[in-house]
Amino acid sequence: MKLFAQWLGLDPAEYNQWQVHWGGDLSIPVLGLIGLLIPLALWFFGTSLSRIQSRIKRVGLFGLRVAAFALLLMMFLQPQMEFRKSQASRNSVAVLLDNSRSLSIKTFPSEATRGDRVRQALADQASYFEKLQKDFQVDFFLVSDHAEPVLPGELDDRYRLQATNTDFTRVFMDVKNRYQGKSLQGVVLFSDGADLTQGPDDLSPELRASLLALGGRVHTVQAGGNENFKDLAIENISTADFGFVHQPVNLSVTVHASNIGNKNVSLVLKEGGTILVSKIVEIREGQDRYAVDMEFTPTELGRRVYSLSLPVFAGEAIAANNRRDFQVKVVRDRIRVLHLNGRPSWDSRFLREVLANNPKVDLLSFFILRTLTDDVAAPTSELSLIPFPSNLLFADYLNSFDLIIFQNFRYEPFIDKKYLNNIQTFIQRGGGFLMVGGELSFQMGGYDRTVMEDMLPVSLEGNVLKFLNDPYRVEIPAAFARHPLLKLEKDFTRNRQAWEQLPSLTGLNLGLEPRKDAQILLQGVHQNGEEKETYPLLVTGRNGKGRVAALATDASWDWNFRRVGEGGSGRYYQKFWSNMIAWLTGDPEMETLQIETDKERYREGEEVLVKVRVLYDDYNPDSGKTIQLSFAPPRGELQTVSLITGNEGEATYQFLPAGEGFYRLHMELERDGNKIGREALFGVFADTAEFMKPLVNAHLLKQMAEISGGRYAAIGDGPLDLSMLTFSNPEVLEPSRRKTFSLWDNWWCFGLLVGILSLEWWLRRKAGLS
Amino acid sequence: MKTSGILFTLKAMRPVTGIPALLMVWTLFVAASPSTLLDPSRLTMPQIKYRGARFAPVPGAVEGLLAQVARRTSIEVNREPLALEVTDPDLFKYPSIYMGGDSSFQPFTAEELKILRQYLSYGGFLLIDDNSGRADSGFDRSVRSMVAQLFPHTPLQKIPRDHSLFRSFYLINSVVGRVVVRPYLEGISIKGRTVLVYNMNDLAGAWARNSLGQWNYEVIAGGETQRQWSIRLGVNIVMYALTLDYKKDMVHLPIILERLRKYHTP
Repeated sequence: MKLFAQWLGLDPAEYNQWQVHWGGDLSIPVLGLIGLLIPLALWFFGTSLSRIQSRIKRVGLFGLRVAAFALLLMMFLQPQMEFRKSQASRNSVAVLLDNSRSLSIKTFPSEATRGDRVRQALADQASYFEKLQKDFQVDFFLVSDHAEPVLPGELDDRYRLQATNTDFTRVFMDVKNRYQGKSLQGVVLFSDGADLTQGPDDLSPELRASLLALGGRVHTVQAGGNENFKDLAIENISTADFGFVHQPVNLSVTVHASNIGNKNVSLVLKEGGTILVSKIVEIREGQDRYAVDMEFTPTELGRRVYSLSLPVFAGEAIAANNRRDFQVKVVRDRIRVLHLNGRPSWDSRFLREVLANNPKVDLLSFFILRTLTDDVAAPTSELSLIPFPSNLLFADYLNSFDLIIFQNFRYEPFIDKKYLNNIQTFIQRGGGFLMVGGELSFQMGGYDRTVMEDMLPVSLEGNVLKFLNDPYRVEIPAAFARHPLLKLEKDFTRNRQAWEQLPSLTGLNLGLEPRKDAQILLQGVHQNGEEKETYPLLVTGRNGKGRVAALATDASWDWNFRRVGEGGSGRYYQKFWSNMIAWLTGDPEMETLQIETDKERYREGEEVLVKVRVLYDDYNPDSGKTIQLSFAPPRGELQTVSLITGNEGEATYQFLPAGEGFYRLHMELERDGNKIGREALFGVFADTAEFMKPLVNAHLLKQMAEISGGRYAAIGDGPLDLSMLTFSNPEVLEPSRRKTFSLWDNWWCFGLLVGILSLEWWLRRKAGLS
Repeated sequence: MKTSGILFTLKAMRPVTGIPALLMVWTLFVAASPSTLLDPSRLTMPQIKYRGARFAPVPGAVEGLLAQVARRTSIEVNREPLALEVTDPDLFKYPSIYMGGDSSFQPFTAEELKILRQYLSYGGFLLIDDNSGRADSGFDRSVRSMVAQLFPHTPLQKIPRDHSLFRSFYLINSVVGRVVVRPYLEGISIKGRTVLVYNMNDLAGAWARNSLGQWNYEVIAGGETQRQWSIRLGVNIVMYALTLDYKKDMVHLPIILERLRKYHTP
């Protein structure tokens, strides 16, 4: 071979290994056919040589034929010669250290954590690892659901026991990929065996396959034990992510108890410091899981944080799982609207239809169908009329509504004047109120010089012409062109066009003087000869925590039915009223200060994106505004950053939360010398899956060792001897250089074949054969 | 007010002749027409004009009904008579209309049907009243043909006795008119709202009153009691057009059901 290498121009001292590769891609049937045809052809050739007398000639000719066939066969098989330069390399051993959270669980009676035991074992068995490193390349990895290389000197800093999931199948696959092309002779795994993907019995097929694919021994070293493992845990909470205000929310809780004994423990649900519900769970020996159902009723809107807790008993392995926080977004189920109509009219009919068909609205309507002066000409028993339940509505149930609408409604004699004070309180506590015009509204409804006048965003002038019965056009003052209540179309230009398309109205309550802090969103413009008269049509304002509006017409229904008659649709009418309801009930999308995060729930390690928006009271963007954004981790210090809003009044901020828990964001800015602000809430959740099955799984560790041909050991209170954890150490040559030569597609191979065939032909001719 | 404003303008102008003068006179006439004088916040119930027959064979009927509505309920009405063609541009100012007759009429054109269909589908209400007093009258045949063309996929159906219309103001158990040809109403509903009510018992004949307050027509068989029931039915129909299913709200149901159970209403 040395000569052959030299002939090919290679230095035999440099290339110390050779190998033949066959490149031909012949299938078995084809090879079989060739294997049959060649001997058959040779037999026929052999019989044709029987006429030659000379034995030497016969043998020579037959030999040439065999050589030709052999060359031909070789060309079919496409041999290649590979020369390699190889060096001896070391075998590898991987030491895997389980870095998951379950290793932070204490062991008893020493109360050292399982991870501490691993550290101690590494220190105590330092001589074993030194000896191992003489014969092998020893690599260390931190593992959980993947393998992460670590230097021995970095272990103190990086071995933190914070990984949230254990999955040995993925770990072994990762290790195998890392040692592709290298010689891995085995693994030493330090772990508690708490792999959540594995059941209580045999290994899963996937884990078994990944173990065998490693190709080497897997020695397992158990960290920790289950003796005296004592723990009481809230294993699972099941509840909806959102709930309705004033409606019960159901919780299903699973409590897990281990070595707690016979005790009655209190499971307590709190919001902040207020106890909402408390239930007794009877813990008994022999049973480890308990299902508890609870119910609570949220009373305030928004994202609410609740906590469930169990008492922590002395000696519990894990205290962290005795308490869990969760979040519920509390929303309105439906907006409850009380709609009082002074008399049936088309305006009240079309508005009622819009309200009744709005799936977000729970409507209660009353119409005054007759007055005291009406002569019904029938006894009460033949009427469908019911007494107006003013006491029920304005004393007992007023606060169950979100919005009250008085539509062309004179309160006397149906509502006692004293109940108007209740309406005042309702508004100041956050309720919405709307007065819709007509001949029974405003001054004509007798509301002047009552508390209702104080609630309205307009004052009511006396001694004036009360009602305009002429047509007038509707205009939006430029300052409020962006007000969300007037948004019939998203696009600004199309919105303006939409308002221009709406029919003019006929019917306007006069003598309404907007208050200083009220906003005139719509004006009625009446052409009186040469003179243009402008009157407030829609005026909004705030009163206490509530919002109020005055719509000084009983003809808005023209924007519906008359618009249809003109070839349009009632869509803008419906949109207008939908906006009105949303604004009056404080829909968050209609706030002038908005703060939100891109998600409500984050995992540990995820960045949070905060978006803020600042608008003026007329809903125009407040750009270039400096706002202070504050947030505090659950057990940390308050942090504050300054943001400046852009052209649309928006600003963003991104940050990485410090740890798990609920974070409250607060934005604050100064306006007209006052500080105003808004809050938002989000939660960062640690994956607590590791604590769902906190027990040490010795059975799994033993099985892994057995299947792979490895050994099992346990770090106990006594001395640990790892010397029994041995590995094969075969010689491994690693090629560093290669050169390959083709043995068939070259001139001398073809030349040799032609030469052999030519010589055979000449000899046959000489022998008298054809 | 509108009329006096225009007269003031005429006095201030120089005398004009020819077409401008005609135009001014026409403008005055139009300005004085009843529809622009009517208070839009009050209920008006125009009568529908059609071709080929008398569209108002019972004068004073609608005015009579509206007078009763004003007397008995809180609804404010315009009692001035108003008649409109379906193609009148003012049609959509009046969400409820009345159609009466006593003989067959020319079919509505496709354009008229389209407008009427749109009118009813998007909020309007039509009361059709056969004033002939006979079953299978020419008016009845024309009405059924018209309704079939108006809503080919939604035929006229009997209005059930628990319909809101029968309890929108009075509790009503009987369907009558000047005569009793059919003791039930028929109607068409779209998305839960009854948009068209057809009565064959000549309600108009029971409602119509002259300027002296006397009833124009005798009521057949049931006398003045039957007239009162007819008036009640008319009031209920108007009340239904304005309040729809309001009386089916839960807050009203217990009292209504109790009254229906306790008292035997005619």
